Amino acid sequence: MPFWHLALLCFLFGTGFGFFVQRGGLCFAHGLGEIFVGQPKRILRMFLVIFVITGAGFALSGFINPDLGLKPLGQLRGHGFFNLLAGMFFGAGIFLNGGCILGTLRNIGEGNLIFVLALLSFIPGMALVVYGLDPYLSPAYQVHNLILPDLIPGARPHHVMGVLVLAGLLALWRLQPPRRKAIEPEKSRAGDLNGR
Amino acid sequence: MERKPWHKNPQILMAGFALLNVAMYLLLHKFWIGGSSFLPLIGKLGPERMFLLAFIVNLGVIAGSLISAVSSGEFRLRWPRGRQIGRAVFGGVLVGFGAALAPGTCTTAFVVGLPMLSVSSILSVAGIFLGAFLVFCLTRGE
Repeated sequence: MPFWHLALLCFLFGTGFGFFVQRGGLCFAHGLGEIFVGQPKRILRMFLVIFVITGAGFALSGFINPDLGLKPLGQLRGHGFFNLLAGMFFGAGIFLNGGCILGTLRNIGEGNLIFVLALLSFIPGMALVVYGLDPYLSPAYQVHNLILPDLIPGARPHHVMGVLVLAGLLALWRLQPPRRKAIEPEKSRAGDLNGR
Repeated sequence: MERKPWHKNPQILMAGFALLNVAMYLLLHKFWIGGSSFLPLIGKLGPERMFLLAFIVNLGVIAGSLISAVSSGEFRLRWPRGRQIGRAVFGGVLVGFGAALAPGTCTTAFVVGLPMLSVSSILSVAGIFLGAFLVFCLTRGE
């Protein structure tokens, strides 16, 4: 596929992501804040919906095309030490500036210009690592790429995913808010008259 | 509790996001990348211009949010003010540092990495919780 066709499709997919993220109010920085103040249900429900559908879809994609399926993402560096460390910097950063990557992009789209500054500030942080630290740290990275089923002897990826998707559905069901029955108009009116 | 219409129900909207995630993987053999997508800003386009394509996806995310915000009446131009600026800049530097130190360490870990069962994402998410909790504890009084 020519690069410009691919770029156009990427832009269109991005537009779809942006629409859903804005309408749904998704931001993991806010979500973490909700968890820390003891109100985790909203973000957990949103995360579980994403996990169940995306996880099942990614696992099933391997049956449609053997090149797809579950694959490690990013790089496991230094046996995971750098991932943990990087996560801590990232977590601190999103909590300070008030938006994860999706939240930052969403806020820019909503007209919140402070997030343009936040986004531009990624540049010195990334440059420091890529041009300053990487040349010294790269021997320690010892990159490995693993998915969870690789750590469980005899486990097949789609079996592990099946169990997790079922667990996710169960958790999602438990997290649903209780439904109250709507008051029937007739009874309500009768109640009002009796009350008088 | 009254049921929200589908276009305002966060779970249905997240289902739409997730279906797009899967469709993009099936059609383009690519998925949404968060942190590394900003590497073109420091001159790194990635193998087969992968990071550049991811950057284009993110431009689309901004456009999609803009369309949604305008159509729902939520668009409002807000200018940066005083103390906000320092926090945004310092936070942004930390985000950039973290995202580059271990590729895949960003929001991608939540929406793509965990559903891929990627071990690097599981560790990244653990780190994100720790880092965010540390800042939460330090700034709780503010």
